[in-house]
Parts: sequence; structure tokens; C-alpha cells
Amino acid sequence: MRRTIGGMVTLVLVLSLVFLTGVPSSAQAVKNPDTFILATIGDPETLDYAWAYDTASFEVIFNVYDTLIFYDGSRTDRFVPGIATQVPSVANGLISKDGRTYTFPIRQGVKFHDGTPLTPEDVAYSIRRFLWIDRAGGPSSLLLEPILGVASTRDEKGNIKVTYSDLTRAVRVQGNNVVITLKEPFGPFLSIMAQWSYVVSRKWAAANGDWDGTRETMRKFNNPKKEDTAFFAKANGTGPFRLVRWDRAAREVILERNDNYWRTPPKLKRVIIKTVEEAATRILMIKAGDADQIALSRRELPQVQGVEGVRIIDDLPQYLISPAVFFTFEIDPTSPHIGSGKLDGNGIPPDFFKDVHVRRAFAYSFDYGAFLRDAYRGKGVVPKGPIPPGMLGYNPRQEYYTYSKEKAIAEFREAWGGRVWANGFKLTILYNAGNVPREIGARMLKENIEALNPKFKVDIRALPWPTYLAEMDAHKLPVFFIGWLADYPDPHNFAFHFLHSKGTFPFVQKYANPEMDKLIEQAKSEPDPKKREALYFKLVDMAYKEVPQLYLVSPVVFTVLRSWVRGYYYNPIHPGTYFYPISKG
Amino acid sequence: MTAYIARRLVLLPIVAFGVTLLIFILLQLLSPTMRAALFVTDPRQLQALHEIIKTYQLDAPFYIQYWNWMKAVFTGNWGWSETARMPVLQAIKSFFPNTFELALLSFIPILLVGIWLGTLSAVHRDRIIDHLSRFFGISGYSLPTFIWGLFLLMLFYGHFRWFPPGRLSLEASLYVNSPEFRRFTGLLTVDALLNGEFWIFVDALRHLALPVLTLTVHDTALLVRITRSSMLEVLRQDYVRTARSKGLAEPVVINKHARKNALIPVITLSSLLFVGLLGGVVITETVFEYPGIGRWGAAAALHLDIPAVAGFALFFATLTVFGNLVADILYAYVDPRIRLR
Repeated sequence: MRRTIGGMVTLVLVLSLVFLTGVPSSAQAVKNPDTFILATIGDPETLDYAWAYDTASFEVIFNVYDTLIFYDGSRTDRFVPGIATQVPSVANGLISKDGRTYTFPIRQGVKFHDGTPLTPEDVAYSIRRFLWIDRAGGPSSLLLEPILGVASTRDEKGNIKVTYSDLTRAVRVQGNNVVITLKEPFGPFLSIMAQWSYVVSRKWAAANGDWDGTRETMRKFNNPKKEDTAFFAKANGTGPFRLVRWDRAAREVILERNDNYWRTPPKLKRVIIKTVEEAATRILMIKAGDADQIALSRRELPQVQGVEGVRIIDDLPQYLISPAVFFTFEIDPTSPHIGSGKLDGNGIPPDFFKDVHVRRAFAYSFDYGAFLRDAYRGKGVVPKGPIPPGMLGYNPRQEYYTYSKEKAIAEFREAWGGRVWANGFKLTILYNAGNVPREIGARMLKENIEALNPKFKVDIRALPWPTYLAEMDAHKLPVFFIGWLADYPDPHNFAFHFLHSKGTFPFVQKYANPEMDKLIEQAKSEPDPKKREALYFKLVDMAYKEVPQLYLVSPVVFTVLRSWVRGYYYNPIHPGTYFYPISKG
Repeated sequence: MTAYIARRLVLLPIVAFGVTLLIFILLQLLSPTMRAALFVTDPRQLQALHEIIKTYQLDAPFYIQYWNWMKAVFTGNWGWSETARMPVLQAIKSFFPNTFELALLSFIPILLVGIWLGTLSAVHRDRIIDHLSRFFGISGYSLPTFIWGLFLLMLFYGHFRWFPPGRLSLEASLYVNSPEFRRFTGLLTVDALLNGEFWIFVDALRHLALPVLTLTVHDTALLVRITRSSMLEVLRQDYVRTARSKGLAEPVVINKHARKNALIPVITLSSLLFVGLLGGVVITETVFEYPGIGRWGAAAALHLDIPAVAGFALFFATLTVFGNLVADILYAYVDPRIRLR
């Protein structure tokens, strides 16, 4: 009885679903013609430009505040003036000959959303505050490194090591200009400024209980909790939109047109960025015209393909290498993922991956093409190194690894003086739970390696993010998957974090190569783009021979819009949709 | 009766203390690095992991963390909820009225239909109405809410465009958040009427319709089954036969003699159902994009948001104690024997 009832219910349900999805949505007049509604996933962390380090936050911030310079449309290698009236260059004399001093002439007549005029002092304050806030795990190091030559304002023990005069010496107001002096020449400086030089009002900050920009009060504003800064949920920018409200209960951000914008005011009167967790709900919203743009994963994309009134823009490139496969060079001996901890066929020694033949053998064992096809439906590129395609330093003629059983066997035979091949090994490949492409990758690697030699045993295991994080930090993961999204569109961001001994991944892998470190430092300070490119070519070739990591995919993305959306453009470094040029109709 | 209620209320702090202490102890099973995952969501922050642990004092022993939390709670500061991006108390204050409204609107049909259909089913045992209601009882309860919810959403929003997801439509939301609209109770339907804005009332109802329907089907089904079996049990009793044999009209027998006695298990279940609804209905709230407390509580637990989980537990423990208290008072009302004891 129970079973027949269940069967009937299922039948009714399936039939109605078929019937419902088969109904085409009729052509509609433009809904809410001057309001743009974006249904997305994930809430902003904070609206403080110096605290936030996630795309959801910056999707709001970069529509509410202006930067000194800005990317030119979809280009990431060309800049246009913003709050600065000129883009500094050596040719226009705004970059000094030694490449250390940058002068930004500040635009006059710009007003904050509260009506007060923007001054060069505000600009200097904004940059100093960005440097000074320096919350643990925040973005401040992006400017601290080029400007002050330090990664943090605090030493290892947590004591402050940056002084007020360090800040005022490096970032100064000279008449109508703001002058920034770098510790040493830093090639990517402008591309960092185009993304991270938001301008806020000093007066407003002080009136709202934030740092007033003076030496006396600065101490308590270093490494604050996010809820303790004035910028957390309020904003007073100069950008095309002003913040009406960040409604954290309804999970939506409401922006309104800045009618006094220093450029032509935007066409949209209002923008609503709404977090809608359930993908099915987002899909229904765009079909009904209640959303103008939605976030979606590739798995769900077919559900909006061919729907009338919905436009999909696909094959948008990203500055992203994800996933990459990492080997830990000195695995914690207590790791549960290395079996016996010896090369006896039941485990691996903690320094297993120190032998380059092991790493090469892994590199030859992975089927990159099949992975791109199976895990990403072919939507992406297999990158030839840690620098993503489309960026300076990406060498299309660079040699790279392809799947080869023979070469993998040859390398395994050479590894550890032949003992790997003779004794076999056992280890675990790990990925963070819920990440389907990484699971597919881990499975492929396992199957290909185990097919080489019956004595090779590979387990795969998914760990929830907290455990994954903790074990990564403790150097307990022998082989693991993770990725990197650009902070700014420059190869240094990738080269440093993938290959420099002080970068994020070598730090986790316990990998250091002094020669690479030197090359990265050199390339960072090299002003001539041609010479810089040559240095990165050399670096990436070294990475090819050394194989500290495998670079699996640089995926492309897509976005889903209503067809009535006009003026939308994509820039791979933007944290989200730039609403300024958009209109509906 | 007063002494009885007072005795029950004394239990409250003990329950609250026990529950929150348990949460803090359980969380100690995770290492400080694992607990730091709440703040480290991106590989870019890997190198700052240990500084983050120090900043948020995640490596302090649990009794110190618990003591600090308790001290703060007594001064009215329940801590910061990272998942809600607001203080815990504010989160409860902004999410709970939404859930309360949803629960209340669902609970009334659940109770009325559940008891009515259950009684009907028992009285007309093995007749067509009984079969239908049993079919409803089994299928309504076994159908997962996310399927049922999505189905309703596709039909009434995707196809007919009648009942949209969310809390309010765009215009209504803008108006409600403007200074012209005054908040009295936090319940939107009530506040809309008090403001004399009938269109807001209708708008709020339109957004409540589908989640209410989803919850009603699910919980009514359960109540029908319990009422039916309890009624059948009572109808077999001697005093019902006595009532009939002394010539009482059937409706009097059913409604006065039988049903009142059959209500004890129904009250128990109802109070549990209501507290359950108040604790939030995670799936329903997620599917319909409804800003309720359950969605927040689930997200907090998932992300190891300790102050939020502890605050949620404290709040929910209080709610449960009060829910049980109300049930006890109702028992006493329907069953004089309990009152006398």
C-alpha cells in the first residue's frame, strides 16, 4: 500500500514538473525598468574597503567608492583616470625616473555622497588607513609590500613595527597631488592601485568613530574586529551609486544613483544585490524577470539555456588557476595520510616528494584534457604554468606536461633510486568536501597512478573545510587540491604565491628555491615590460622542470542576464558586476 | 498551579546553563585551527591563520571562553554572529518575528484541519473519508519538504506568477523600510494593518502563502494521524459506550466525551510542533528565500559560528521550556485529574 502511494505521488510530481518546465515564459515588458536586481550567492563580509578581502564585499564597494585610477573597460593592462586626473607614467613625469615615486594629481570638484568635497587629504588618509588597518588575513599587505616593504604592520609576536611617520613619509599631500614613495621599484604598482585605492572621507570616518588620521588615536585601529570599524555597514563614497542600506536580515544591499556623480550619473536609479541561496529559486526569478542577473554554477546552466528573454554570456576568461595540485615537501610525520611513513609499500616517507622524479611521474600521470572535459565541460584552458593565460609572462610556447603512461613509468622507475617502483607506495590525495571538480581530479589521478603498478595504492579523501584548513596548515596533506584567484592582474601575484618561498603555497608545501626567489624579486622591480616578460618566462620554465605543483585548469565563466539588460561588460579583474554603464530596455 | 509554574520556570536557567555548556565543550573537540575556518575562507588568508587564532582567542581553554561568554551574556551582550554579520541578539530580534509570523499562520490551519480531519477519519473508520485522510496523512508526511516546496514554487511562482519567494515585493520592501512605516510588533502582517497599509498586508500574505502551505501539509498530516489513532482508542472506551447508550446525540458524544479525552497526545504533539516551527524550518525558509531564524541557525552551525550557536541554543532552550509549560497548562485544562494532582 505504502509503496503504491509513494509511486503515485512521484508520478504526479514528475508529470507536473515536465508539464511546468515545458511551458515557455511569454515575452514580457521590461520589469522595474530603472532598478537592476542581481540574485547572487554569499553575503558581503563587510563594506570596509580596508577590511574586506572577498569578491562579494567588493562587488558593493567598487560600485560605491572610486579608486584613483580604474581599468579601461574590459582591459586589465590599460588604465583610465579616476579620482586622479591622470594615470602616472614615466613619460608624463608622474613616475620618477628611479620608478619609486608616483604622483597622483587629484580631481577637483568631486563630492562625497554626503555632499562634502573630496580633498587630497582624504586620498592620503584613505591610503594610510588601508595600510594601517591591516587586519589579520586582510588585504593590507597588497599595498604594505610595495609602499613600506613589509608584509604586515606587526612582527611575529604581534608588536607594532610600523610608525605614523612611516605612513606620512610614504604617502604625502603636495599641493593638489598625492605622492606615494615606494620602498623599491615595483612593476605591478599601478595595477594594484587600480583595484585597491578606494577613496573615503576622513571627516566622515572621524565623525563616525573611526580613525581620524592622527598619530594619537591610531593604536586601537590596527587589526580591528570587522564590526568595530565605521565602514562595516555604512558608506560615504564618491562612486556612481550611494549605499542606501545593507539589510543583513533580508540579505540584500540597496544602492541608489548618485545624481552628483563627477561623471555623467548612471542610468539605473537603483540596484539591489540579493543573496538567494537556492539555485532553483534564482532560476525562477530570472525566468519571471524578477532578477536581471543571477549567479549560477555550470551544472545548473542548462536550465536557463534557450529560455526566452534570458541571455547567457559564456567563455569569459578569469585570472584564476583552480584547481592546482600541490605536493608537500616535508610532510608532518604524524600525518594520517602517509601510511607507514616509510617506503615499504605501505606508505611514503615524509620527504617523498623531494625527489623530482616522483613529482614528474605524478605530472605525467594526470590526464589534463580528460579532466577539463569531464569536470568543466571543456570550459577553460590548461595553463602552461602558474601564470594564467592572457597575463603578461604567460608563454604560449612554454613546454608543459601531458598525460603519458610511458613517461610516468619511466619517472617512477627512476624515483628514489628505483625503490619506489620496486616497493610501491601508499598515500592519500585530499580535496575539500563538496568540490565536485576536485573530486573528479583526485579520482582520475588515483586511477591513472594505480594502473601503472599494482604496488601503487592511492586513497582519495574529502575533508570538510575546517579540517582541510587545519591539516594543510599543519603540513599533513601529502597531495592536495586548491586554487588561486588574482588580487590584481599582474604575474607577480601568481609567481609570488605559487613559487616564492615566502608565498602562500610554498609556505604550506615547505618548498623553497632560492633561485626562483631571486628571479621573482628581480621581475617585480623590472620596469621594462619586455625584460619582465623574459624573466617570467624563465621562472615558469624552472617551475616546469621542478614541478612543485600541477596547474590543471584556468576555467572560463559565464553570466546569466535578462536580454533587456544593456551596456553590461565584463572585466576579469572586477569583483563582480560594474553597474555604472548598465541600463534596461 | 502557580507553584507548579514557578517550579517549571526554575528549571529554565538550569537547562540553559546545561545546553550552552555542552555546546562549548563539544566545540572543544575541534582544534583552534579548525575553529578558525569561520574566518579563513580563502587560501589567500592561509598565512594569517595563527594570527587570526590569536586575534579571536580561539586557543583559550574552553572554560575561559565559556566564562567570558557567560559574563557578556549577563550584561546583555550575546556576542557577534559572523554568519548573520550582526550581534547575536540583533540577529534573533530580526529573524525571530519572521519565523514567528510564519509559524503562527501555519499553526492555525495545522491545528484546525489536523484535529478536524483526524476526528472525522476516526469516526468514519474504514469509509472513503478515512481512506482519503489516511492517504493524505501518509503522503503529506513522507513527501520531503524541499520537493513539496519546490513543486509549489514552480507551480505558483514559475507558472502562475501568483506567489513570489522572499519576504516582500520590491515596492513593499522599499516602503516598509522607509521612515513612513512604523514597526510595532515586528510581524509584518500585523504592522501593515496597524499602519493602515492594506496593500502591504496583502503583499506580505502573498509571500507567506507558499511557505505556510508547505508547512501546513507536512505537519497537518502528522496531526491527522495522531488525532485519528487517539480518537479510535478513546471511542473504544466504556464511558463512550455509556454515553451513547444513555441516548446522547452522536455529535455530543464525539465532541464532548470522546474528543476532549483524545486531545492529550494531540496537545503534546502540537506544542512540540509549534516549538519546532518557531525553531525555524530550515528547508522551507531556504527554498522560499524567507529570512527566518532557522536558516540563520543552520548556517551558524555549519560555519562553527560559536556565539551564534550558543545564543541560538539559549534562546531555543527558553522557548522549549515555555512551550512545555504551555502544554502542561493545557493538559490541566482538558484533564481535571492533572489539575487536581
